[in-house]
Amino acid sequence: MSDQKTERLINLTMALLATKRFLSKSEIFANVAGYSGTVETKERMFERDKDDLRTLGIVINVGSHDPLFADEPGYQILENNYEFEIGELTPQEIAYLSLAARVWRNQLFATGGSHALLKIDALGGTALREDYGQAALSLENETPLFPSLWEAITQMRTISFSYRSQVTTDRTVAPYGLTLWHGSWYLVGLDLSKSEIRVFKVSRIASEITFTGVDHSFAIPKDFSIKDHLIMLAPEPESTFIARVRVGRCHSLRSGADIVNIDGEWDRISFILGSDWLERILWFGEDIILESPAERVSKLLDTLRSKL
Amino acid sequence: MSETALDRVARALDLIPFISSNPGLSVVQIAERFKSTPSQISKDLSLLHMCGLPGYSHLELLDIDYEDPNYIAVTEAQVLDHPRALTQIEAMTLVLGLQLLTELAGDISERLAITNLQERITTKYGNGLSTTIDITDAIVESPHATQISHALSTHRKLTIKYNSASSDSITSREVYPLHIYYTNGIAYLRAFIVDVNAERSFRLDRITDLHMGETDEGIYETLGKGGSQEEVSEVEIEMGADGYFFIERHNEIVTNHEENSGRFRIRLSVAPGEWITRTLLAWPSKIAVMEPHSLAETITQRIAGALANYQ
Repeated sequence: MSDQKTERLINLTMALLATKRFLSKSEIFANVAGYSGTVETKERMFERDKDDLRTLGIVINVGSHDPLFADEPGYQILENNYEFEIGELTPQEIAYLSLAARVWRNQLFATGGSHALLKIDALGGTALREDYGQAALSLENETPLFPSLWEAITQMRTISFSYRSQVTTDRTVAPYGLTLWHGSWYLVGLDLSKSEIRVFKVSRIASEITFTGVDHSFAIPKDFSIKDHLIMLAPEPESTFIARVRVGRCHSLRSGADIVNIDGEWDRISFILGSDWLERILWFGEDIILESPAERVSKLLDTLRSKL
Repeated sequence: MSETALDRVARALDLIPFISSNPGLSVVQIAERFKSTPSQISKDLSLLHMCGLPGYSHLELLDIDYEDPNYIAVTEAQVLDHPRALTQIEAMTLVLGLQLLTELAGDISERLAITNLQERITTKYGNGLSTTIDITDAIVESPHATQISHALSTHRKLTIKYNSASSDSITSREVYPLHIYYTNGIAYLRAFIVDVNAERSFRLDRITDLHMGETDEGIYETLGKGGSQEEVSEVEIEMGADGYFFIERHNEIVTNHEENSGRFRIRLSVAPGEWITRTLLAWPSKIAVMEPHSLAETITQRIAGALANYQ
């Protein structure tokens, strides 16, 4: 971008921010530095400039400054929309915000965090703080597709991608929302071929995100709530197991279990496990002998044989 | 990566309030914080010096002191003295970051202060955030988080009882906490273990008991000096289509993988101990260990041993 255009966008932002009333286009062209050429040229410049500022997240209000000429729109940027402003902040609160901004190790959010931190430092003059080192807290998530998904959701565009479950299939989805649940991102959206709301684990998306719809190609139902659709939240079917376990072994199965000693080598325990029962029992190898339920015992034996 | 056209405008608009609040930084320091180069920042500053409010006399222009690259200041910021609003991603980053802080907050008043900040950000930026994104259960709530974070901030030694899944044993350890981190939503404590003179990670939910020890300010100076590095070894495995889920589950130790007509060949970098043996043993489908040979043998023996129990 040319220096001229950069300058014009900054001047336009400042002028619209400084004004206490709506500025009409003719006022902008007459007073803001950088608009030149024919009326058509200036109009085209201004339309592009407005789009550019909106892309930067700057909210431009459109209204009329003169009730007698209501058809001539005016433009203004409100301080409250433009500025960070969340009320007075104490030094301690600024410290919390800056720590919160440095939590992420993941690329995209680390970038979001470091941008936020520049703004926090601009609030508090804390750029040279001593603790600008490693945060005591960090969170790891791989989300290379996040920017595309976020764009699709905020602009309400339908998307398609290939998705791995038992088999890999192509899905076309109206994306409604994203959730970070216990460390993984999930996309919640209307699966258009099934006409049902489905949950997709983002890490299982096996392709790029292809935009198939234009902006606002769907509307999110008014009563939509992400939590209502999270199958992870459904209660897990649990079963009671009985097993012999070696004395002094299988610690994680023993907590909360009924334990009866058999002899110097074995205890018998009764415990409850959910859908991950097979892995939890395999973990202990030859230190456990599963006794019941019978169908789980045969499933366990089949699995062990298949692993040889 | 070259910057996009609008990145420069965004940076220019952010430079003014940043420098206003932090006068006296050098061009190099500013460039570091804005992840840019000193020459680019200098260009930005001389461009900004030409910008201002309609009228554009010296009374309306931005006034920036940038002659001395070691001392940059803004003497007239006009309407740009406050930082810009957060983007939605920035707001979300902060809200989630604050949520992790509440988890670790030392006491009720600290927790309330942080929750209050979270609410102020959500109120201002919540438009759309609340229905399209949900991060309220981003991490698994962990026991002991508050106590450990207190120990961290006061430099206290901890005595912990730890149920190690990999060795299937409960041991007592004296440790100096270094930091808390989250992987796949689960909280871990990174700590220095006194008697083995090395750093290790502990899952918070496997700590069965915890005692606060003395404050020892001096110890952190010496930690890690002469401490042994945790050695890692390379493991290569081969498995079927569910290899994808294996990688997803254990992404932090996967160093390389290849997918070939439905089969996965995966290289792992693992710490010593039984963890890798048990992890491969517990996976519900067949995994072939290509190397090391000793690991392949151990796993075969464990499976055979388990089956022999039922004879």
